Amino acid sequence: MPLNFKSNVIKFVRYSLIISATAIYLVPILYMLLGSFKPDDHVLSGIFNKLQYVAEHYSLQNFRDVFERVDFKRYLANSLIITGCVVFFGLVVNAMAGYALARFHWQGRKLTLTIILAIMIIPMEATAVPLFYQLSILGLRNTYVVQIIPFIANAFFIVLFYTYFLSLPKELEEAAYMDGASPWRTFLFIVLPNSKPVLASVAILSFLLQWGNYLWPLLMVSDENVRPLSLAISTFYTLPPLQWGDLFAFGVLMVLPVLIVFIVFQKWFVQGVVASSHKA
Amino acid sequence: MIQTLLPKHLVKTRTSVLMMIPAILLLIVFVGEPFILSIILSLTNLRLGSPLPMEFVGLQQYYEIFSDQAFQRAIVNNGIFALCVVPIQTVLALSLALLLNQKMYGRAMFRMLFFMPVIFPLSLVAVIWIIIFAPNPEGLFNDSLNALTLGHWQARDFLHNEYFALPAIMLTSIWQGVGFQMIVFLAALQAIPHQLYEAASIDGAKTWQQFWHITLPQLRYTVAYVVILTTILAFRLFDQVQIMTQGGPSNASTTIMFETVKSAFAQQQVAKAAAMTVVLFVIVLSLTGLQQKISKKVRI
Amino acid sequence: MVNNMKNDNARMPFYYVILLLFIGLTACEQKTDTAIAKEKDRLTLWAHAGQAAERQILNQQITTYNQKHKIKIKANFIPERTYNAQVQAAAVAGDLPCVLELDGPYLFNYIWQGHLQAIDALVSKEILDDLLPSILEQGRYNDKLFGVGVFDSGLGIFTRSSVLKKHGIRVPDGPADAWDDQEFENILKTLSTQDKDGAVLDLKLNYPSEWFTYAFSPAVRSAGGDLIDRTSYQSAKNFLNGAPAIELMSIFQNWFRQGYIDSNVDDNAFLSGKAVLSWAGHWEFERYSKTFGDDLIVVPLPDFGHGTKTGQGSWLWSMTRQCQQVDAVKSFFEFILSPEQVLAMANANGAVPARKQAIAKSTHYQTSGALNLFVQQLTYGYAIPRPKTPAYPVITTSFSQAFQDIRNGAKVKQALDKAVADIDNDIKQNKGYQTNVLTNK
Repeated sequence: MPLNFKSNVIKFVRYSLIISATAIYLVPILYMLLGSFKPDDHVLSGIFNKLQYVAEHYSLQNFRDVFERVDFKRYLANSLIITGCVVFFGLVVNAMAGYALARFHWQGRKLTLTIILAIMIIPMEATAVPLFYQLSILGLRNTYVVQIIPFIANAFFIVLFYTYFLSLPKELEEAAYMDGASPWRTFLFIVLPNSKPVLASVAILSFLLQWGNYLWPLLMVSDENVRPLSLAISTFYTLPPLQWGDLFAFGVLMVLPVLIVFIVFQKWFVQGVVASSHKA
Repeated sequence: MIQTLLPKHLVKTRTSVLMMIPAILLLIVFVGEPFILSIILSLTNLRLGSPLPMEFVGLQQYYEIFSDQAFQRAIVNNGIFALCVVPIQTVLALSLALLLNQKMYGRAMFRMLFFMPVIFPLSLVAVIWIIIFAPNPEGLFNDSLNALTLGHWQARDFLHNEYFALPAIMLTSIWQGVGFQMIVFLAALQAIPHQLYEAASIDGAKTWQQFWHITLPQLRYTVAYVVILTTILAFRLFDQVQIMTQGGPSNASTTIMFETVKSAFAQQQVAKAAAMTVVLFVIVLSLTGLQQKISKKVRI
Repeated sequence: MVNNMKNDNARMPFYYVILLLFIGLTACEQKTDTAIAKEKDRLTLWAHAGQAAERQILNQQITTYNQKHKIKIKANFIPERTYNAQVQAAAVAGDLPCVLELDGPYLFNYIWQGHLQAIDALVSKEILDDLLPSILEQGRYNDKLFGVGVFDSGLGIFTRSSVLKKHGIRVPDGPADAWDDQEFENILKTLSTQDKDGAVLDLKLNYPSEWFTYAFSPAVRSAGGDLIDRTSYQSAKNFLNGAPAIELMSIFQNWFRQGYIDSNVDDNAFLSGKAVLSWAGHWEFERYSKTFGDDLIVVPLPDFGHGTKTGQGSWLWSMTRQCQQVDAVKSFFEFILSPEQVLAMANANGAVPARKQAIAKSTHYQTSGALNLFVQQLTYGYAIPRPKTPAYPVITTSFSQAFQDIRNGAKVKQALDKAVADIDNDIKQNKGYQTNVLTNK
């Protein structure tokens, strides 16, 4: 039947476009992934040669090197603790603020919103040095606390929550209030469960931002005990010749936790679709 | 139709204040106050680690940076960068989000794949891009362009060419940024009630019409947010410049943030760097204010 | 349905909080270095985490030292590329250790900032006499010794004797016999015509910016110019942008224009044979000799008019101002400067041993060794230290920037003028970097 054939052709074209686009798009990533399995001298030197994908000399040696050269477990634990705390407390603090801005009347609301939008613009480099001076004087260098607390509140995410909450239909909340529920209960048990997509995206994005945070630990952390993974990667940036295999292996290992967070929270995206179709 | 605030009689002010307090406090202490300090510092001659006493020099730093050719070029570069990257990246991210929001096999996997460039440390990925842009004819980019133009392409050293350096960085940035914005759009698309689409299909609306009359209006706030966000990030461009071109050749690819970090850490002139960030702030503030005025659709 | 979701979602956050609090509490038990520094029987030490072998040897040395001494060293290894930034940040915050490793040319800036104390009393005369002149040159300031290195660096042109022979190019037999610039130009031309893409010289363009100052400012000296006026260190005018410097950088720019220089994007130009001349440092010897064996030779840098000049300087050990454990530091210095330890480190990282006794025992650096050229350069004044001034950070940034711009086709005079302006401006703003903050111990 002509109609089926046409839609199948369209599907086929669409899929092949997506797949080839993805393949081209991921070339740099592919190089890194392949490189992490090759011995150091083969990683970059073969990169001009298209035939280098031949599976010679692939091994896990680079990954073993990584664990040998740096105290990977320690740095991983540090990064997990720091990033985990920032993400968790960040979700709480930023979501509350976004909700208050989207749903409540209070004096100075418009002003606050404008200021928060303005704060979004301030780059971390502008505040890093003054903060560095102040917190160093307080003796807070080389602690977990100093790597966590400054990053909990984030103007980007507050606004993201704000725009999302604005687009949620008011009916459920109004119904809850009619039933006598307090704003806290409404927020926790009605709004948040229906906000999985935004919670998921903020969790992913905030994990990502914090995981790779480099400038701040560079200034505030010299002690190995609290050093995060992002600083540790510079261990592999010795003077050339770099050991590219080790470096890429480290990169792959560093990316895995983020990938896991992404996959886990992606499910929440999907749940969002299911939930909203149930609303009908 | 955008929903806004709850009816006044339902709301208790005390709760709203409590909800705002943690965020406000943290923002003031860790962003607001240091920034104000930064503004004050820009009026001095503070240098990192110098044993010399700090002095107030008024607007001298501003005078210096505006008469600095590198800084002037940086502002221009950031402007060009924003003008090109913001539309391209936003459109691409939205298209991807739309594509990946539909039922299809491997949807979750494709989502993850497009997000990959964002999660790899930029320092590593930039190295690969440097190699992709290699100047000899076998370099990936030269080779591909040669194939695309059927052999009429002359190999160029992109990263060291004053006309190609900035576009090369733009390409790398778009490549990395699309995944980031895509996630935001995906979340917003999920918030659009399904009934709207179902009702429209029943009424006989085609896909394109549904997109234009349902999806876009519902995404109004998000699109505005993403545009502003991308603009701000465009002006904060730093990592790629530092790794791939170091601002060269002859300032062809330098940016405000690159000059700032160079001043602060390589030349140890903290006050000068502070002045640059203040200028950055003013520029971006004006731009976003302008954007908001133009798109009157964004109501606070 | 809403009620069901309510129960599931309410519990998870609480578990999460409890888990995090638990982790947080256990994590707080870690002691930081600053706390340790206060303990009497510990000596805090910072070192850069360099190449693997280098780090391993240092680790071993510290372990050996700790076994033999009552005071134990607590070492903190900081990644090499971020080393200066981290030391700077810690210095500003007052968090420095007792023993601090530093990259040679930055020594003077730290002295000026008041973070270091003189170590003359800690190095015995016996050791001083046995050290290479370049080591003392690098660590002295205002007639006091502030830093002492365990090894020094070597810089030259690596090439293959078979290739030179094939083209009838003579091999210099020492620094006094180096190719002069005309000869070198001819060599480049000859090799280039025989080469596939014409690029025969590898200048390590892929290296980070400090390399450019280290590797190419000696050539400026060889041409008769310099990075700065070394009598008073107040201005670079007429030294960095005088006629000799301009001429030299124009020569380099011409090489780029002619296509003689390989871009070395994958750091492999010499090994793959694409380039047959490699302007590189001692650290490349091992990698290169693995591929080329005995065919690999190293020759001095070209003589641009005033004799061949080459670079020197590397990491050295210093003592911070607030450190009180003078005896412990002294015993540590004696230990790592002993001939056996110096040789062990040099064997590990391929650098030039600091002590003549160790040189005599080194396979590569002894008189008949492949890298003896480096020893000659360091001993007989062919090696020029980078400018010994607190202004060094801005000097190196400005010069690298100028080099890059010139490489990309900028007008030579303009680029050099700009570098001079930046340097002079910085010196002026710092009131000439007058050092009135030296401690006398």
